[in-house]
Amino acid sequence: MSWRAHGMRAWLLQRLSALYMLLFAISFLLYIAPNLPITYEYWSDLFTRPSIAVATLVFFAALLYHAWIGIRDIIVDYIHDTTLRFTLWVLVTLFLIGLGIWVALIVLSVVAV
Amino acid sequence: MRFQVQRYNPETDKLPYLKEYELNTIPTGMMLRDALLQIKAQDESFTFRHSCGEGVCGSDAMNINGSNALACLTPLSTLSQPIVVRSVPGMPIIRDLVVDMSQFYHHYRAIKPYLIVHDPMPEVELLQSPEDRDKLDGLYECILCGCCTTACPSFWWNPDKFRGPAALLQAYRFLADSRDQATNQRLQELDGPYRMFRCHTIMNCTSVCPKGLNPSAAIHKIKELMLKEMI
Repeated sequence: MSWRAHGMRAWLLQRLSALYMLLFAISFLLYIAPNLPITYEYWSDLFTRPSIAVATLVFFAALLYHAWIGIRDIIVDYIHDTTLRFTLWVLVTLFLIGLGIWVALIVLSVVAV
Repeated sequence: MRFQVQRYNPETDKLPYLKEYELNTIPTGMMLRDALLQIKAQDESFTFRHSCGEGVCGSDAMNINGSNALACLTPLSTLSQPIVVRSVPGMPIIRDLVVDMSQFYHHYRAIKPYLIVHDPMPEVELLQSPEDRDKLDGLYECILCGCCTTACPSFWWNPDKFRGPAALLQAYRFLADSRDQATNQRLQELDGPYRMFRCHTIMNCTSVCPKGLNPSAAIHKIKELMLKEMI
């Protein structure tokens, strides 16, 4: 069985990433629920904790990977011209990597080490 | 009763078009296939595939009021007028309602629709317990009419690479067979981005199958087998 990110592997990782996002979203909401309404101080303090920062970074990694597979599925379905397909895929990949770096910079800028 | 039937003659028409027909006497319980035969009697230049007339041969799959079905199993009383009859979508039209099914059969052949046994063949038949035989129910009944595959958007976009629900249902029919010994080979052939994984569980296949089969569920079972194989 191939271990490149297509076919079974992509399908499985897309579902695992969805599962992580779901669990993260639910537990994050439950975690902050007792402190509603949220103040700026609480919110900024939350992201100085390394555990929250790591969980958030993993969440965004899962989100971007999930989106990457999903958009690639759409491209493979509808775009059949090889040049256009390759160009779009490279642009989407660069865009998502860019978002990932941006998110990482924001999260790492507030975390207390 | 009013009909709009797709007509196409490759020698004179650039594109298929709908032609109006009217039938006056409709006996109760009449099926669409019988109506099409009456239309053919009116206008003998019209043609469509049909044979057994009772949902066994799978010849008369067509798009009826926008949904794929067998004409011989579709009572006229269930259809709103005008009854629009087209060829199944996504297939090259040869003439009127007759389509070129080569691509469909190519995918069927590609999944190796026969038992593969590596052990030496036994002196007697390859035996199977009644429980193992039960696992083939809902799979072996497929008549290869093509309603499901030609209703599948994934097949419309990638007809040359995506196997389509009919072929995948048959792939699972042999994966589920206790006598087959080519599980790994079959699973490997279906991995990759196209052959099975163009399926996005749209489930048009399951909703149109005239035999009430469930290709979506079969595809899901193949994915389960692949997952087990991987772990």
